[in-house]
Amino acid sequence: MKYIITFLGLTGIMFGCANDPDPVAEKSQFVRIYDNTRFNASYYPIDVHQTSDGGFLVLGVRKLRTEELSSDFPGVYIMKTDAFGNFVSENLLDNTLVAPIAPILEVSGKYYFFCMKNLQTQLLEVDASGTIVNTMSTGGTYPSAAAVDGSNLLLLNYDFVNKQSVISIVGTNGNAQKSKAFTIGPNNDVDEPIYQHFLRIGKQIPFQVGKSGSGKYYFNGFYNYTLSLVFTDLAATNPLGVSNGQQEKGGFSQVLPLEGDAFAAARFNFGDNYILPNVTINTSAVSSVDKLGGNNFPELVDDAPIRIVQATIAGRQVLIYASNTRSRQIALFFYDKITSAFIGSHYLGFSNPFEVTNLISTTDGGLAVCGTTYVAGRFPRICLFKLSQQTVSASLHNK
Amino acid sequence: MIRTSTLLLAVLLSFQLYAQPKQRKQKFNNQNTANKQGAFLEKQWWIGLKGGVNLTEATPQQRYSVLTATSNYPASQLQKKYTAFNKTGSQATLEVTFYFKGFSFSFQPTYRHSRFTYSNQFEWTDTETVGNHLLLNYKQENIIDYADLPFIVKYDLTKTKLRPYVHAGIFYSVLLNATKSVNIEGTDFASGGTNQFSNEALIVGATDLYNKSYWGLLAGGGADYNLGNVRLVLDISYQRGMSNVTNTSNRFSNDRLSGIGDAMDDMKINNIVISFGCLFPMRFLGTGFKTLDR
Repeated sequence: MKYIITFLGLTGIMFGCANDPDPVAEKSQFVRIYDNTRFNASYYPIDVHQTSDGGFLVLGVRKLRTEELSSDFPGVYIMKTDAFGNFVSENLLDNTLVAPIAPILEVSGKYYFFCMKNLQTQLLEVDASGTIVNTMSTGGTYPSAAAVDGSNLLLLNYDFVNKQSVISIVGTNGNAQKSKAFTIGPNNDVDEPIYQHFLRIGKQIPFQVGKSGSGKYYFNGFYNYTLSLVFTDLAATNPLGVSNGQQEKGGFSQVLPLEGDAFAAARFNFGDNYILPNVTINTSAVSSVDKLGGNNFPELVDDAPIRIVQATIAGRQVLIYASNTRSRQIALFFYDKITSAFIGSHYLGFSNPFEVTNLISTTDGGLAVCGTTYVAGRFPRICLFKLSQQTVSASLHNK
Repeated sequence: MIRTSTLLLAVLLSFQLYAQPKQRKQKFNNQNTANKQGAFLEKQWWIGLKGGVNLTEATPQQRYSVLTATSNYPASQLQKKYTAFNKTGSQATLEVTFYFKGFSFSFQPTYRHSRFTYSNQFEWTDTETVGNHLLLNYKQENIIDYADLPFIVKYDLTKTKLRPYVHAGIFYSVLLNATKSVNIEGTDFASGGTNQFSNEALIVGATDLYNKSYWGLLAGGGADYNLGNVRLVLDISYQRGMSNVTNTSNRFSNDRLSGIGDAMDDMKINNIVISFGCLFPMRFLGTGFKTLDR
């Protein structure tokens, strides 16, 4: 009897190490690089969004092929993956639709994004498979930034005729309900960086629009020749408050509203980058961004693009900053939301260059980080990192 | 004459009667010794060392890749091409064997150093400028060290001095160490000429990418040669892995490998193991280290 038990025990140990694939584990952690064999194809993601089926929609731009060039703007590319990151489908939109902007906006289970047709803003509704189901013209030129505002959308436009930054509330039917325009200055001083941004031939301006914790609308865009964070109630002619940058050389890289007038923010100033996990911005007066201080990060590339999300990791409220390092990796920096203490970091990518586009919290408590990598050191392709909750947790010290 | 004949017959009979018990005793003694020797030779303990070479084959079960094909992509381009039994490894074994009536029951803990390779070839072509294309070859060598714990049953086919045998068994292997080496070579046809290049090999620790253990079955044959008191042994085994060797939860955990598009397939490992060694008996008849098994 003793021998039988021993034999069964040993057999159990052996079969217990079968190590079969675990679908849950395979969904929770993966790395994908979506490749295309075309030598001259270029894809740059601008946002990633998790759909209700657990998969991901990636909105991107693509370099239009010579034969389909209708403008110098990049075309629209939508890719659908399943929950494992496997490629499902791609949609290369009509070449008249160009210059899409982030993020993918989810309202009542439907997905939307803005792009441009003949310089006019279009609102496109897309289903979870990445298929366009509705196209609506919203008016206004050069859509620059967007956000969800309850059941409506917020939109920032650049009006190149009147030289204005225009912030609007847009319904999901594409109709602008309310808008306010602010001058960028009468001359053409800031036109060049704006056009370079839209053509993707220069620095990407960190345009942003949203609503603060105190209920004020804001946009990060050009106002009075300067990249500024402008606060408005969409009623008053003048801004309620302005935090001025330094033309296009300094300003906020990204802000995330916290409570009241507090923000998790990042700023850049003539190449330097600063992280401010909790900063109170004067939303009722004129102030200067470069007076806000912050933690300097010399390891980041000059004027680094920065994305900020808020997540709960291991029961702890955490602010996660994602950016690009000089060593061509994607860096994730973790800050405690309550104490603003730096509590960890995590680096993604190696060998080939990697650049971050966006990161999101996923339904399983992990993170999805979308970016661009240069396959073989030269072909820009979309990459998607899915990090499990355990991996993210392990990146935090002082747990 | 009759008396003389009667006397001689009586003497012969008396000798015969005297001699018969002695012969019976001698025969009994010889038979007893043979029986003892036979009983002794029915079982024996052997212990010794073996060493040799091994060849490895990795058989993918489910394929994975970091590079993911979009619509115009031939899926075959992503599949790793494994080369079977092309790299020589080595192993060292401690053998402990119990022999009983032609069968041997053997435990042979082994340190095994194995190597196998796979490769990928990727090509990017320009649809607008024919001739512009880039070809990259990724060659990966996997080096894995295992502690094998096999339990083997042998059967001697003959009982001669040179004893061929067949064996079969089960083994359990514990991972000790693993590394991967990646060589990238390419040909660039898009730089105004044909430029062949190769990058410095990327060598990374890969212990976390492998499962801590796996199990398998083995079969093979060999021969023992009794040389003096020791036994020389030469055997060959085919070890068939029965469980996945890849750590499924760490498949994408190595940034260096993920960065160049590599992720481990689920796979099983098979080995051809050739060993030569020397065994020593542990039971002796009397003094002088005579085993009589020769």
